[in-house]
Amino acid sequence: MNAIEIRNLSKRYGEKYAVNGLDMTVPQGAIYGFIGENGSGKSTTEKLICGLIRPSGGTIRLWGKDHRDQEVRSRVGVLIESPGCFPNYSVWNNMKLQAANLGIRNENEEIRRVLRLVRMDGAASNKFKNCSLGMKQRIGIAFALLGDPALLVLDEPINGLDADGMRIMREILTGLSARGTTVLISSHILGELEKIATHYGILRGGKLLKEMTAEELNADCPTYVALKTEDTERAREVLARAFGRVETDGETGEIRVYGAYAEGVAKYLYGNFGIPVTELRTAKISLEEYYIDLMREGRE
Amino acid sequence: MKTFAKRLKTMLKVDARRMFTMPAVWIMFGISLALPVLILVMTSFVGVAEAGEGAVAFTNVWQAIGSAGGMSMDLTGMCNINLLYFLAAIFTCLFVGEDFRSGYVKNLFTVRSRKIDYVLSKTIVLFAAACGMFLCYFAGAMIGGGIAGLSFDTAEVGASAGGIALCMISKIFFAPVFVSIALTLATVGKQRLWLSVLGTLAAGMLLFTMIPMMTPLNAGAFHVVLCVLGGPLFATGLGAVSCVILNKTSLV
Repeated sequence: MNAIEIRNLSKRYGEKYAVNGLDMTVPQGAIYGFIGENGSGKSTTEKLICGLIRPSGGTIRLWGKDHRDQEVRSRVGVLIESPGCFPNYSVWNNMKLQAANLGIRNENEEIRRVLRLVRMDGAASNKFKNCSLGMKQRIGIAFALLGDPALLVLDEPINGLDADGMRIMREILTGLSARGTTVLISSHILGELEKIATHYGILRGGKLLKEMTAEELNADCPTYVALKTEDTERAREVLARAFGRVETDGETGEIRVYGAYAEGVAKYLYGNFGIPVTELRTAKISLEEYYIDLMREGRE
Repeated sequence: MKTFAKRLKTMLKVDARRMFTMPAVWIMFGISLALPVLILVMTSFVGVAEAGEGAVAFTNVWQAIGSAGGMSMDLTGMCNINLLYFLAAIFTCLFVGEDFRSGYVKNLFTVRSRKIDYVLSKTIVLFAAACGMFLCYFAGAMIGGGIAGLSFDTAEVGASAGGIALCMISKIFFAPVFVSIALTLATVGKQRLWLSVLGTLAAGMLLFTMIPMMTPLNAGAFHVVLCVLGGPLFATGLGAVSCVILNKTSLV
């Protein structure tokens, strides 16, 4: 069963569509990386899923039921923009309120469990307003995890996290996914997303540009030959004539040749032009590069 | 599936816990207690001769609670317990506004879709806070009257002890009217606290002249029934409006 099924969803503010005819499917247990430029409609879609704003049209179904269904809603954990905490309350008291809202029986135990999970058990007595940005993000994640939800909707959860925080986050999300929890996560830090996501949805202008699994993305990501020579300018020129798509990294001086074999490129350069290759490897473009290419193609 | 009663119970628990851990509620209780003491003591110290006949009129402690016949436009008519309706309404705006400003409503309405639980629970706890304020004011009036040496004779102000008790009950049960107006305006204003406070004050001004008629010092059963039934009924009606506003508008 799919955890989220969205059909023809739209949200209009005045004359402008924030989300326009969006179709999206998130399978149960997936970590769904939700990617898009600023203003592409990611946060709006997440708010629509959580019922915080009303759609102008279309349907949202969670586990086959309408997203406004009370039973369905109680199974959703959310971190959108910032954790909704009272600044003058301690972390513990803020969590107690949410635990009571969720009707959790063993409140104290559950709060301790989630705070331990995000390595924030030592900060339970801190006032929320005195917590750092990274701490607030972790607390927000702990909030979302209260009551062991079956669906987590996380909007930019890794913003402000340090390296250790990001690692912890990865561990938590992959662990939850392994247990069947579905995670919808939006982020601009694509390198981190690439490490955990099992599915991707790429959004542009309020519409889903592409939806695919990590395997499909992997297959879709072109390989390239990365090489270095002593005569970068000339090598680039001749390779561009022979292979079409050639790019140069301005900082490292690395030349990337798409749609070619490493050995063939090296032989071509040295055999025909006497340009020796000093470094040679084959690689795949990253999610970030794939995304940038996709956006560029769209604009063109 | 949780029943309505269970849902309301947990919501009330949360709201009560929140309200009584909020410094603002204790400040409001403090103001309610101190206000009549200050008014009664200070006006009696100034004296009639210096301030003029119209300005100083507290000769009896029960004037701080109300008047027997309609609203008078002198100091006793303006500076009495009826000011608390404004205080209760402002506290309502603060309490509800903080839910929106902190983002707490995001957490709440993601896991709870029924807005009626929220509106009902808020109305009940804020009514409880208003009750507390009225009782504090009453206590403050007694203390202030005692310090200022004012008369406690009920007959002097055309009332009886029973009438004053019924007057207090009427005043307390009239509070849901102001609470629900403030709650509705706070759901409209959301993060914009200034908007809900200004709206509430404006609405309060319109209703202010009605209060002495609904809750006179010599109140009878009619006034009590009117307020005990009318207050909650009015709150129910406006509560329904608040629910519609919450359902039809964006919460963030």
